[in-house]
Amino acid sequence: MKQLLQEFFKGVFIENPTFRLVLGLCPTLAVSTSIINGFGMGVAATFVIVGSNVIVSLVRGIVPSKIRIPCFIVIIATFVTIVELVMKAYYPELSKALGMFVPLIVVNCIVMARAEAFASKNSTIRSLFDGLGMGVGFTGALVIISIIREFLGNGTLLGLRVIDGFEPLLLFILAPGALLVIGMLIGTVNMIARHS
Amino acid sequence: MDVRQLLMIAIGVIFINNFILSKFLGLCPFIGVSKKTGPAFYMGLAVTFVMTCSSIITWAVYVYLLRPFHMEYLRTISFILVIASFVQLIEMFIQKTSPALYRTFGIYLALITTNCAVFGVTVLNSEMFLSSDLRPLQSLIFCVTQGFCAGLGFTIVLLFMSGIRERLELCDVPSAFRDVPIAFIIASLMSMAFMGFSGFRF
Amino acid sequence: MSENNLFTVTPAPHITSKLTTKSIMYLVILSLLPAGIAGIYIFGLVSLKTIIFSIASCVVCEALFLKFTNKDPGISLDGSAILTGLLLAYNLPPQVPFWIPLIGGVVSILIGKQIFGGLGHNIFNPALVGRVFLQISWPVYMTSWKNPRWWPDAISTATPLAKENPVHVSYVDLFLGNHAGCIGEVCIVALLLGALFLLLMKIISLDIPASFILTVAILTWIFGKDGFLKGDFIFHILSGGLILGAFFMATDYVTSPLTRPGKIIFGIGCGLLTVLIRLKGSYPEGVSYSILFMNATVPLIDRYTRTRVFGSKKKTG
Repeated sequence: MKQLLQEFFKGVFIENPTFRLVLGLCPTLAVSTSIINGFGMGVAATFVIVGSNVIVSLVRGIVPSKIRIPCFIVIIATFVTIVELVMKAYYPELSKALGMFVPLIVVNCIVMARAEAFASKNSTIRSLFDGLGMGVGFTGALVIISIIREFLGNGTLLGLRVIDGFEPLLLFILAPGALLVIGMLIGTVNMIARHS
Repeated sequence: MDVRQLLMIAIGVIFINNFILSKFLGLCPFIGVSKKTGPAFYMGLAVTFVMTCSSIITWAVYVYLLRPFHMEYLRTISFILVIASFVQLIEMFIQKTSPALYRTFGIYLALITTNCAVFGVTVLNSEMFLSSDLRPLQSLIFCVTQGFCAGLGFTIVLLFMSGIRERLELCDVPSAFRDVPIAFIIASLMSMAFMGFSGFRF
Repeated sequence: MSENNLFTVTPAPHITSKLTTKSIMYLVILSLLPAGIAGIYIFGLVSLKTIIFSIASCVVCEALFLKFTNKDPGISLDGSAILTGLLLAYNLPPQVPFWIPLIGGVVSILIGKQIFGGLGHNIFNPALVGRVFLQISWPVYMTSWKNPRWWPDAISTATPLAKENPVHVSYVDLFLGNHAGCIGEVCIVALLLGALFLLLMKIISLDIPASFILTVAILTWIFGKDGFLKGDFIFHILSGGLILGAFFMATDYVTSPLTRPGKIIFGIGCGLLTVLIRLKGSYPEGVSYSILFMNATVPLIDRYTRTRVFGSKKKTG
């Protein structure tokens, strides 16, 4: 059990997919303009990572090595399609806000990387916890970035105005702001990692 | 359809909505392959080639397979399979016909399969051109133009970045920011510069 | 060997020059003073407030950063931070709230310069980084202008380059700065005086400004609003931030090419982009964006316009 918890926390902190492994940044930067969007994307991606990790791990004995990548892709794409359709049906505004980045979860480096590097070589239960850890780490990173961008760029948190008289910096809602925030955050995480 | 529409698509996807600096598609190879100009150029070439061909193939799949049978929800799975298979085929073809070319080029192809940029442009094509009532030939030309120009925009930015990062090797960047963080900050500043193109109209 | 005859040993060539980084910086600051004085005279003391906040912000920020990274904080007085602050202020509307130049200064110094490793290492012009950051973040504040003090209306509706309802002034007014605009960009005559000074002192060369301004002139003449080959190129040369940008910002040593062909390419590129943005984009002025864009291409330009190493053979075949 302790080992499983270790797998989980590894994905959240030491090997955080966004800040340390620098994976899956395309959707991270695109949807982190508001906390709700960031959180929504994180949850959707977590579902896909966990689902694909479990199935890939279950079939790892059967799939021949030469065609494993296309097989993984089909498995991942299936889960992504499920998420796509469920979101369109039950959370239409979120689906519209996230736009084409929901189908793009299929090429999210995190999912494929975990399937290839971990789930295809480890037991199902460990893959489950690894997927959960990575998903939570990814969601956490998304939320942190979204908090910064939504507050600085819009003056709101979760859509509610926080401080009166604060003039938001539009830059942070836009592309340059996203790149600036992720650059500064990774640099800061590096500084903290060095000192500890 | 006139040249102006094509020009607007081109300018739109190269400058105004640049795939890397504005849409964040293709960031992984951007950060990974932009340290030297040589590899950056070959990566850009490979991406442009795959994007253009994928645009054509996915156009055919959508227009002649998915739409007539009302299977548009299979877009994600079918597009990604098509792209992955195509890249695999190209890789095998290059390996057999020109080992030298494979050595310079081949590894990038593998990276392209899970590249958001390639999949992204095909999804963008289908959203922009294939859900409306354009004539098939018209939508094909739009898709190909957008695919090619998206690759061009990707390559241009990749080249700029590699030039800057080569120069930055000699600079005194604070150690916590070396490599990845400073690359993002440079991208942020380039993105600011590219914002000058917003609102372009011809 | 007596102690009075200490010889300094350096490698060849044994050329000495009175110019140091510090002295170059302060000479450029000197050359910019007429434009600043004009800005204060035309728009009032509020310009001075903006200038002071900008310079103070840059110098303090640099000193603090150097202290934090265990370098000598005295470097903050080598003139480059002051110059950045001055140029940033010259690119702002005179009546912006104090926190705009304050934050702009912090951004210019930290993100435009220090994060790259300090002076000489930056890729982008720091003052322009700050200016564009401010423009994208607070577009309303950065595009609200003030008319010259002696005009009847204090609040201005537009500058001569505005896309809707531009204000129409004569060439003389444009030349003297008798219209709304940024603090240091309006008074062309003051700017040209400073530019002449820098040219005579051989601190800048004409390559970049000439190619920049000529490209703008030719392109606006050919493609200007009034018809093919009938464009008002004099208007375009005298309005907006072109003179300020071409002589004082595009010529920054660190962020422009090393060789003469490179400089000319750089100038033409800046001119081309400026005209495109002015005529076809949605922003009224394109000088800042075009210079930043071309800054990004400088490493590539330098790479491909390298001078042949002395004594080496040219590759044939």
